[in-house]
This record gives sequence, C-alpha cells and structure tokens, in this order.
Amino acid sequence: MNKLVKLFITSISAITLALVSFTSSFAKVEGDYIVLGSAISLTGKYSSNGVHTQNGYNMAVERINKMGGVEVQGKKYKFEIIYYDDESNPKRAAQLAERLIKQDGVHYMLGPYSSGLTKAIAPVTEKYKIPMVEANGASRSLFTKGYKYLFAVLSPANQYLEVAIDLAVEKNGGKGVRIAQAFEQDAFSQDVRLGILDAAKRTGSEIIIDDKLPKELNDMAATLAKVKATKPDVLVVSGHTKGALTAIRQISEMKVDVPMLAMTHCDAAKLSKQHGKKSEYALCASQWHKNLSYKDKFFGSGKKYDKDFKKEFGYAPPYQSAESSAALLVFKDAFERANSFDRDAVRDALVDTEMQTFYGNIKFGPGGQNVAKPMILFQVRCKGDECENKVVAPTKWASDKFYHPIPKWSERS
Amino acid sequence: MNKVKQKDLILYSGLIILGLAAPYLFSAFKVQLTYLCVLIVLAMTWNLQGGEMGYNTFGNILFYGLGMYLTASVQVGMFFPLAEWTESGGEKTFVHTTAQYFQGIGVGLLVSAIIPAIIAGAIGYAILGLRGHYFAICTLGLGIAAGEIAGGIEIIGAGQGFTTPPFPAEIVDTEARGKFFYFLSFALLIGTFVFVKYIYGSRFKLILNAIRDNEDKAEAMGIQTMKYKITGWMCSAFFCGLAGGIMGGLIGYIDSTDVAFDGREMGVFMVLMAILGGKGTLWGPVIGATLFHFFKEGLWTLILGWQYVALGVLIVVIVIYFPEGLMGWLREKYPERFGEVIDEKDRKAQVELK
Repeated sequence: MNKLVKLFITSISAITLALVSFTSSFAKVEGDYIVLGSAISLTGKYSSNGVHTQNGYNMAVERINKMGGVEVQGKKYKFEIIYYDDESNPKRAAQLAERLIKQDGVHYMLGPYSSGLTKAIAPVTEKYKIPMVEANGASRSLFTKGYKYLFAVLSPANQYLEVAIDLAVEKNGGKGVRIAQAFEQDAFSQDVRLGILDAAKRTGSEIIIDDKLPKELNDMAATLAKVKATKPDVLVVSGHTKGALTAIRQISEMKVDVPMLAMTHCDAAKLSKQHGKKSEYALCASQWHKNLSYKDKFFGSGKKYDKDFKKEFGYAPPYQSAESSAALLVFKDAFERANSFDRDAVRDALVDTEMQTFYGNIKFGPGGQNVAKPMILFQVRCKGDECENKVVAPTKWASDKFYHPIPKWSERS
Repeated sequence: MNKVKQKDLILYSGLIILGLAAPYLFSAFKVQLTYLCVLIVLAMTWNLQGGEMGYNTFGNILFYGLGMYLTASVQVGMFFPLAEWTESGGEKTFVHTTAQYFQGIGVGLLVSAIIPAIIAGAIGYAILGLRGHYFAICTLGLGIAAGEIAGGIEIIGAGQGFTTPPFPAEIVDTEARGKFFYFLSFALLIGTFVFVKYIYGSRFKLILNAIRDNEDKAEAMGIQTMKYKITGWMCSAFFCGLAGGIMGGLIGYIDSTDVAFDGREMGVFMVLMAILGGKGTLWGPVIGATLFHFFKEGLWTLILGWQYVALGVLIVVIVIYFPEGLMGWLREKYPERFGEVIDEKDRKAQVELK
C-alpha cells in the first residue's frame, strides 16, 4: 500500500507539473498573425459539410493573406486559424470553444458547421465576450436569445423553403396546396419546418404529412409510402446532406410521383453529380449560387470563386463553402474599420457591417442574422447525362424557368 | 491498522486540497477539470452496477440524460412557462435573476437525483430478472429509446434542443461560472466517493459481490437478490442523474441524442473508464477515468481525424492486456500490496504440479 500511495502521489505531481507548464497560452495576435479559432466537424455525421466549411475558411485565409492581409494601425497582419474537430457533437463543441478561448487564447471565433453546434458554442463565446462570425448556423432560435457577439452571414433557416411554397401556390392558381413534409430531428431542419408551417398558414395550404426523420438518416421509405398513397402537391424534405441523398435515392427507387419536390443541401450533397438524372427537377434552397451578380475584390464574382475553388479542392463549391469564405471577408472588414484588436471595438465594427461580397450583401440585424441577402431556389436540370443547378427564383437572378409539374417516372426516360 | 488509516488520511486530505486548489492553479483548465469530476462519478456509479454487481449496463446514460433534462426543465419551469422558453423563434426573452438561477438549479438537481432513482427502481423491477448478455442488450435499448422519445417531446425542445438558462449576467466575473460548476461537480465527486467508500465497508457490497459471483447460490443462501439488485441500480441512478444535471448547466445546450442520451459517447466512455481502471475496485474507476480523460484531451487533438481509431486501439489493448483493468493488473503483479498473503509453499507446490 505504501508504495502504491507513493506512486499515486508521484504521478499526480507529475501531471500537475505538466499542466502548469502547458498553461502559458498564445495571444490573440501573434507577431504578424491574427489568430482565429474554430471547432469544425471533421468526423461524425456532419463531416462532409464540416470539410466544405473548412475549405471555405482556408480558401479565404489564403486569398486574403496573399492579397496583403489585414491592415490595422498601419501594420499588415495575416490570418491564421486554429482548428479542432468537434466530432459533430454539441457537447464536444462547447468544450472545444472553452479550450480555444481559455487555453489557446483565441479572441475571435469562426462558427462551426450546423445550427445545433452553433447553439452550443454561442453561450461560451457570449460569456467571454468573444466576437464570433458564423456561416453555418441558420436556426432562428440563435437570433432570439439576445446574443451580442454572434454574427451570421447567412439567412435564417425558416426562410429556406418558404418561397417554394409560394411558388407551388402560384402554380396552383393562387389556391392553397397539400403539403407532405419530412424533417430531420435537428435544430436546423426543425426551423425549416417552422418556416413551412408559417407559409402554409399564410397561403391557406394544408399539411397532410408531417414526419420526423432520425438523425442518422438513411431511410425514409415510410414517409414515401404515405406520399404515394396520399398524392400531395408538394413534398418537402430537409435533413442536411444525408437527407437530400436519401430522399433522391428512395424516391427514384420507389418511383414516387409528386408534382414538386423541395429540399435543402442539394449542392452540398453534390446531388446532380451523384444521382444525375434521378435528381432532375428537384427544387433546392440555397444561400448562394455562382450565377448571382455579387462581386468583391478578393474573389471577384461568384463564377470566379467557383473556378478557383474547383482548381484548389477539385469540386464545385457548395454554398456552405462560399458563406464560410465570406465570414473571413467580414472579419477582415471589421478589423480594418475598428483599426484595433480590442474585442469590443471589433464587435462594434461588426455591428455596423454593410458590405458586398461575392457571396452576397452582408448587413447584420439586431439579432445578428444577415438581413441583406435573400435566399434563392435552384432546380436541377439535365441535358443528356449532364446535370446542372439552374436558378429559378427569385426572378431577378433566374436563369431558367421553373419546370412544373415534375413528369411522372413512367414518362421519364 | 491505525497506521494505514493515517496514510489514508494524508492521501485524502491531499487530494481534497488539490481538488480545491485546482481551479486556481489551472484556471484555464476549469472546464476540463469539471468534466474529469463528472467522468469519475459516472465511472464509479457504473462500477457499482457493472463491477460490483456484475450486471453490465449500457443504460446508465438514461439517468444521466434524464438528470440533464430534469434540472434544466425545473430551472426554467419554476419561474417561466417552459413551452415558451423552448419554442424556437419565440419573440420573448426570459432572463433569470441571480437568485432565480441558483434556486432553480438547486431544486433542479434535487429533482434530477430523485426521479432517475425512482425510474431506475421501476425499470429495474421489470428487467433486472434478465441476466448476462440479455440484461446488457436490454439496457442498450433504453438509452437509444429515451433519445428518440425526448427528440419528439415539444415542451423540452424536441429536435431543436434545449438551451439551458445562461449564467446570471449580474455576476460580472467571467470566471464565476466555471468555478461554480467546478465546485458543484467536485462536491458531487466527494459525495459519490464517500458513499461508495461507505458501501465498500458494508454488508451490502458483499451481497452485490455474491450476486456477481453466483446469483443462484446467493439466492439459495436466503438473500433476496432482486431487492438488492434494484437498490444497487437506484444508487447508481441517483448519482448519474446529478452528474447529468451539472453537465446540462455547464454545456448550456441539451440535444436529445448528442448531449443528453449520448449512449454512443458518454454511455460507452463510462464503461470503458471503469474497465480501464479495473472494475470491482474502489480506485479503479477513479484512475481509469483520470487516465482516459488525459488521453482524450491530450492526444485527440494531435491525431485529428484518427482519434476514434486510436480509441478503438485503446479498447483492444485494454481488453487484451489488461482484462482486469490497471488495478487488476497491479493486483496480480504485486498482490502483497493489496493485503493479499501468498502462501509460498502452496505456490511452489502448484508450480511443481504443473
């Protein structure tokens, strides 16, 4: 026992020493670098979108650094990001946010991927008064908590598919439609659902199927069987990348005929590439599309961003990457206007943000959400075996006409 | 005997002083230290059930998650309408005053200890008749089912999740929240340890061991095994619920499957930590949880993307080389230090026989 106790005490003191020597942390600005922190989902259920987000951040960091960096008080600084993997888990994300702030000494944060994780991190950044510009947390409930240090470059989740219901009603001669909907059990998708409920109420539409999908989403056959039986006018599905892939896979397998199919995350799921003609006519909500006419001096136009991104990472940028890149442009702009590294000065500068980026106009509302940018809808259209996403709404940017109704599977080649 | 006790006293007071000083010594690591306390509590309570009683459960995560939701619900529900708090996109903002916050969390924690214990009693009555693998599989379902059910209950936020009340803004000190949760979890750790230590000196523990070693014989000796099994599980649930309640407040956001009924992570971790340290021992879970936490915090970020592979390797290594855990391994190597006397003659005789 004696030796055991000694061993125990020795090991405890060793650990103590090790910890003390680790406590010395970085500073927010190290030499020529402004250090930002981010917890990102590199593994787990959001890993594909987590990587899209990280690629977006990295692309912007590289571009801004190459083009002169950030000028504060006459000195040029470069961006650097410390990443941790949050494993798509809110608990881990909150813990890592603490770690970034307390141990790595990060004073400015970039958001994680998904609303749920942003919800977990926001209380932490708020507590330490750390400005966070996030690009992937769209849930409306993020913007009603009175957070003062949270800024989102994207439009709130309830706006995602409201326009789709309006389109359906318009095609129905102004009369209400019958809606079938299925949403993943997570903060983002449930908010999209609330948007649809509002739209249904407004247009006098009726919701005939209202299903919930599990988080580890790979089967929705039960919902689709009901859709086959009840023949709704619109089918709405939202469940991040897996939701989009599962929906298209099973709709084509089960040959479900529905006049209109509205979804989210089509481009992140690379639907038009992965499923080709099977995904044709799917209507998708998006924060961004390369054909929009926004511009900035770092990335040029959306088309140029698309080209550069493809060259760098080998695939077309989904909106998750574009909005993530935009988050850094917002930070750069805020630092330069604040002309200081004081957190509150940067925060105040962020409040006054009003700028155009290749991704869209950015101006923050009182809750921190971006109020200057509308959502867009695109539809997957194919020529032969080549499928592409064509913007169909709003009309200002529409490159193609909205194709309605979707032809029956028996009539599709 | 007296000498050993004195040594214990030094050890315990040393550890308590270290525990009290820790948040000041390692101010930046407060959250990790809080996690450590909670992990140790979870490992110890699991050990009561899985180690001492031999009923391997994956269901303790149920009580942890319940505790989390209960504490948060009570904390909000005592002062504000819960449904409006959890509704997404609601226009109203509710703010707890300092007094409301602490009253709420106090009552909430009380509820989060008692209700899980009662539920453990009820479920235990139903399923503790199952033995071995059947019990393990059955409890595996409990956590998963609870996660899915919680994800459908609107009043606790359903799939949206539940944002727990923020720490009162009137307390300006940014360190206060971290300290509060650390000391809360440290108090829970001490409470749990004292309780488990007390059990270790009681007849109750011997009965649990008897159930583990041979339930039929125990029954034949006149022990009402069912009664003791249920009581044992209720004790686990009591502390698990408290641990969950503290974690909910610390994390600040409860998600049904990823934070509360997180069987895939916490549910597995508590088993792993107890086995790593050595199940069926007092110190095993403490050492196992500590090592595991250091491994996780220290190494995981160095091997981004591979951490789960490393975890898998760790599990394999534990199972192959330390099937009895670290304490079991030490015990085998240095039995005399555990107060076991080896009859040298007998040992030699056995060697010769081989």
